[in-house]
Order: sequence, then structure tokens, then C-alpha cells
Amino acid sequence: MAKILIADDAMFMRASIKKILTEGGHEVVGEAEDGQDAVEKYAVLAPDLVMLDITMPRMDGLAALAAIVNANASAKVIMCSALGQEQKVKEAIGTGARDYVVKPFTPQKLLDAVNRALAMP
Amino acid sequence: MNVAFINPFITAGVEVIKQIVGGEVEQGQLSIRTAIFTTQQVSIVVGVSGPVQGQVIYGLSQVTATKIASAMMGIQQVEFDEMAISAVSELGNMISGNAVMLLSESGFVCDITPPTMVRGMNVEIATQAPSLLVPLYTKCGKVDITVALSAVPSPVTA
Ligand SMILES: [Mg+2]
Repeated sequence: MAKILIADDAMFMRASIKKILTEGGHEVVGEAEDGQDAVEKYAVLAPDLVMLDITMPRMDGLAALAAIVNANASAKVIMCSALGQEQKVKEAIGTGARDYVVKPFTPQKLLDAVNRALAMP
Repeated sequence: MNVAFINPFITAGVEVIKQIVGGEVEQGQLSIRTAIFTTQQVSIVVGVSGPVQGQVIYGLSQVTATKIASAMMGIQQVEFDEMAISAVSELGNMISGNAVMLLSESGFVCDITPPTMVRGMNVEIATQAPSLLVPLYTKCGKVDITVALSAVPSPVTA
């Protein structure tokens, strides 16, 4: 069981992802509504993993990813975005994201990505 | 407006709705819109920026929006509450995100803004570009997709 932080500006997505992760045996320790909120909650909660949306107000997910990885080089972050273009995926992976899940996704696809990232060193 | 810009939104709209709402989705007749007035009770507006820019507006009745939210949430939603609004807004985000992924395959690498919802009919939504409207008929009712996008002239490199 891993402690996971969910960051997505859509309340609906936070609830959906939380349900999938909880049913998958994980614990959701926090929810963030934008990138800035995610960076702040990451520092306070020190979760094992972050599920990070990209299109969010105030600070987008790619900027939040850079800040989180800058604070902790071994941070495990999975991007979870409706934007699936190669350029975004490359930027995210290059910045340090462990995986990239394009919305919409199936619960299994999300859990597989989470379990793969958790198994990484 | 370049008709090629609406096709990714139709394709993404059909696919995303089939996947997260379920049922068949049929595309209706394409028409040109001169001025944008919300003719539907609920409109979700998403901005597009980059080499192609403008707005995409998803219009639907409150009954359809509530039915779609119910299907997305997997529960019978009676009221169009905060969670239902969030679900339908996220549908707009997902369709737009998947559409710009298709646009990027034609060389237009764009970004999108978080969705904003406008409620009420006959509200004017200013768009810079003339727009095209295509209705998608879903099991929950009609979703109007209005695409007002134009290509940004690339800077001259002499
Ligand atoms: Mg978002």
C-alpha cells in the first residue's frame, strides 16, 4: 500500500482516481487542485507517489513536476492528462515523470502504471 | 475557418464520449455560425493556444449534462450539482486534449486552457474566428461542438 497525492483541477477526476486507487489497495493522503497546491502538499505530505494532471489553473502540471523533482530527485510522479501529444509526453519524461497516462483511461491502466512506478527504484 | 481544424474535435468527441459515457455516438450536419450565442443551457469553453488558436465550446441542455454526468460517475445523478458540473467540464477537457493530440499529428502543436462553464441561454461568447458547429447525438442527448479556431501566421524567417 502506497501513500498517494492526487493533483487535478477537476473534482470529478480527483474522486474517480481516488476510488480506483483506494480499491487498488492504496491510500490517498491528499488532493491538490492546481500545480502550486501540488508542490506545497508534496512538501508537507511526502507521499510515495503523485498522480499529476497537466491542464490546471495557476501552475500547470509540467511546472509542478519540475518543482517536485527539483525538491526531491527521486520523487515518483505519474502524469495523468487529456493531452497526449508526443511533445508533452517527451517533456514530462525528460523532466522526470515515471509514466504518462492519457485520459480517458481504464482503472486497470491507471493501477498498472501506479504499480510499475512503485516497483521502480 | 479551416474545416480541417474541426475534424479532430469530431473524432475525439465521438471516441471520448463512447469510452466514458457509453452507447453509440452519431455525428450530425456541419453548419457555419456567424456569432456565438449560447443556445444551450450549459456551455463548456476551452481555449486553444499555439499555431492554431481560438475557442472550442461544448453546448448541451441541463438534462443532457446531468445524464452525461450520471454515466461518467456511474450513479444516478438527479441534480446538476458541483460534482456533475466538474464531470461535464472534464469531458470538455478530455475531448479537447485528445483533439489537440490529433492536431499535433498534422504539425499543429497546441495547448489548451482549463475548461470554464457558462450557464444560461443567449449569453454572448466572443470568438476571434468564424466558427463551425457540429452536433453529436449521444445516448444522453445532443452535444453541440462549436469550433472557432484559426491558424496563426508563422513569422517570416528570411
Ligand atoms: Mg485538468
